[in-house]
Amino acid sequence: MSIERLKRIDENRLEIPKDYKLGMRTNGIIFVDSVLENTLESGSIEQVANVATLPGIIGPSMAMPDIHTGYGFAIGGVAAFDLKEGIISPGGVGYDIN
Amino acid sequence: MEILYNEIPAGVGSKGKIRLTGEDERKLLLNGARWAVERGYGAVSDLERIESGGCIEGANPDVISQKAYERGRAQQGTLGSGNHFLEIQHVDEIYDKNAADEMGLFHGQITIMIHTGSRGFGHQVCTDFLEVMEKAAVKYRIDLPDKELACAPFNSPEAQDYLAAMRAAANYAWANRQCITHWIRETFQRVFMASPRDLGISLIYDVAHNIAKIEEHTVRGKKMKLIVHRKGATRAFPPGHPELPDIYKRIGQPVLIPGDMGRASFVLLGTEKAMAETFGSTCHGAGRVMSRHQAIRQAKGRSIWREMEDMGIIVRSAGRGTLAEEMPEAYKDISNVVDVTHNAGISKKVARLRPLGVVKG
Repeated sequence: MSIERLKRIDENRLEIPKDYKLGMRTNGIIFVDSVLENTLESGSIEQVANVATLPGIIGPSMAMPDIHTGYGFAIGGVAAFDLKEGIISPGGVGYDIN
Repeated sequence: MEILYNEIPAGVGSKGKIRLTGEDERKLLLNGARWAVERGYGAVSDLERIESGGCIEGANPDVISQKAYERGRAQQGTLGSGNHFLEIQHVDEIYDKNAADEMGLFHGQITIMIHTGSRGFGHQVCTDFLEVMEKAAVKYRIDLPDKELACAPFNSPEAQDYLAAMRAAANYAWANRQCITHWIRETFQRVFMASPRDLGISLIYDVAHNIAKIEEHTVRGKKMKLIVHRKGATRAFPPGHPELPDIYKRIGQPVLIPGDMGRASFVLLGTEKAMAETFGSTCHGAGRVMSRHQAIRQAKGRSIWREMEDMGIIVRSAGRGTLAEEMPEAYKDISNVVDVTHNAGISKKVARLRPLGVVKG
């Protein structure tokens, strides 16, 4: 598992393909350019991929360019879930609420 | 800076001037910044410039643990520690003159930025509900690649209780910043012997960046209600969005991006592209490149305070440890971060703010 398996969509976005990890229901998108790509931690990439496995996720599991490794979900993460099929997770908000 | 440092309590577990009774704390959790304004902290006109009017509906004080109540009692109106700060800044670059005019921002202007949240109260809510959710994930047979993703189906009682508790914490944070805003105005009024109106200290915006909210989004042409998790991501709604106040309907939602204490912070605007691509979200800050421990090791033998002073930035801090953890090179360069969101179109640069003085926890 590593950064080599990510695909560059355009100069500001990297894609984590759906087949990156078993159980991913959707792809991942990390907003980084070639400069910030060098600061990507492998742990945070895994976290974006992990969120893509959660039930009821709508659209991609995303991360903003200030991404870094957090508790369960990466800090800089955005994920939306369906109200019927989806979940809510405290790790998706973090300890420092609001 | 000295007076601000004395007026606004900072540091780990810092206690404020407000002592909440049990009844007070419940009201605060239900009403957020509205509670603060009713108590005389700030003006009613501030509320329309706060995301969700400074109060999210659906908070429930009955699902909060005793421990959270205790931690919250003395910390209302405090800055805390870690990456939280209060900064006096100056506007050194305007990228969008029209939007800056609408917000009342101009080159050379002094701005004040507050970065803090729900303090120990929110931390306790998260701790309490991670425990609940770990059990819930087993109960509802949710297959998780990592235990830390503990969660529950949105319609389960566990999920609804967390949502109600998290909303209470969000309200705590909005009230907290509103109290601090009020004391900043009071301090400036005293030091400059002029009214906040004469000094022009009006709120530009107050926005969350660690929150889960039910929002309506268009997915493949269909309108859907979703629970959007933003963890270190800021809401960035476009012009015309129904949740924006009239003053910002034309230009879109202001987005505040606090940077590290040595470089810069930014004011951005939400866009249509953010709505279409990121559920109306953008970045939230610089993002660490060094862990807190790494930063402390790197800072050994250095005086971060002196280095900042040499850059012309006055720093007041409750602890040396925080300064080491928070030194600028522990973070990515905020300009790179903001440029990616601007170039990707998920937010639009309006102004850059440079630090002059910083209060750190």
